[in-house]
Amino acid sequence: MPQLDPAVFIPQIFWLFVVFAALYIFIARSAAPKISEVLKRRQDTITDDLANAEKLQAKAEEARIAFEKSQEDARNNAAAIVLSKREELKAEADAEYQKLSDALSKKADEAQKRINEAKEKALGEVRNVAADVCADIVSQISGLKLDAKAVSKAVNAKTDDVLKGDG
Amino acid sequence: MAGPLEQFEVNTIVPLEVAGYDISITNSAVYMAITLLTIMFFMVGGMRKTALVPGRWQSSVEMCYEFIAKMLGDTAGPDGRKYFPFVFTLFMFILAANLIGMVPWVHAFTVTSHIAVTFAMAFFIFIGVTIIGFIKHGIGFLKFFVPGDAPVALLPLLVVIEVVSYLSRPISLSVRLFANMVAGHTMLKVFGGFVVSLAAAGGVLAVGSIVPFAFIVALTGLELLVACLQAYVFAVLTCIYLNDALHMH
Repeated sequence: MPQLDPAVFIPQIFWLFVVFAALYIFIARSAAPKISEVLKRRQDTITDDLANAEKLQAKAEEARIAFEKSQEDARNNAAAIVLSKREELKAEADAEYQKLSDALSKKADEAQKRINEAKEKALGEVRNVAADVCADIVSQISGLKLDAKAVSKAVNAKTDDVLKGDG
Repeated sequence: MAGPLEQFEVNTIVPLEVAGYDISITNSAVYMAITLLTIMFFMVGGMRKTALVPGRWQSSVEMCYEFIAKMLGDTAGPDGRKYFPFVFTLFMFILAANLIGMVPWVHAFTVTSHIAVTFAMAFFIFIGVTIIGFIKHGIGFLKFFVPGDAPVALLPLLVVIEVVSYLSRPISLSVRLFANMVAGHTMLKVFGGFVVSLAAAGGVLAVGSIVPFAFIVALTGLELLVACLQAYVFAVLTCIYLNDALHMH
């Protein structure tokens, strides 16, 4: 076995030492720091990006909530406007109705009053006429001079009775 | 035809001697240099533009780095961080040497198939870890050899067993890698020899050479796995020894 020949030990070990030392220096001074820096930079970038994404997501969430709130407000506002407008219109309509109905009832009252007056007047006329006629008839027939007041009173009483019987 | 063990021969290319020591440049030294250059090419090439989203090459380099960093963190904890460059170097060197040894046709030399190389690395780790242990815990590191919850009567025996097992670490660590590499490469060569002799015999036997050839194909796949696995095992055991020195179990 050539490996067991002591003559090959020393040169191999010497060159192993030289090469290994060179490789160690290369890796320790140049390669390993470079690789670790790249890995660290990548890790940092990933962390930063994740943090950024989270921040943006939070912002988007905020905007969504604000939007929903404003939408809700607008809806409430609209409802309030509709409600107040309806109240207003209703009040207006009520007022108009009241005014109209007042005017109408006033007119009706007036008309009633006029009717009553006319009726009263007509009734008064009737009583006077009836009293006159009555007095004339009595004086014609009996030649008595009747007291106009007493006649009119008696007629009135009789007329009231008749009107009551009618009514 | 070359024998199955001839691939492990070390040939001097440029003879050199310093202070009576032979430090000739051999095929082994050349392959170590090739291993070094391959790793440098791999890492410099992968990191030539450090993209945020890595390409395949950069990804491979990062995967190696993260694999070893995770392994070291899992076994030795945060205290082991400062030994990361060493473990990373060790893993990359053994992995590259093992894989370069698998290159066919070019008479590739497997650096890690020599006990001198694997033992030198294992012994260096053994000494280094022991020194770290003593620096970290002072003379108290000797308590490492005394199992905590053992009966007092058994202690002398257990201490001897612990010491022997500790001292045999560099041997088991180096022989494991060495033996795996030698066995795999020898087996490939043996089956390669079968293919050649069967094909040379001609006739029906030449057709039969397909069988050892198929074996070679399968073995090559297995050896690629072993090459990676042994580099991993060497590195993970180094981490475990480091953890023992840092935390005493």
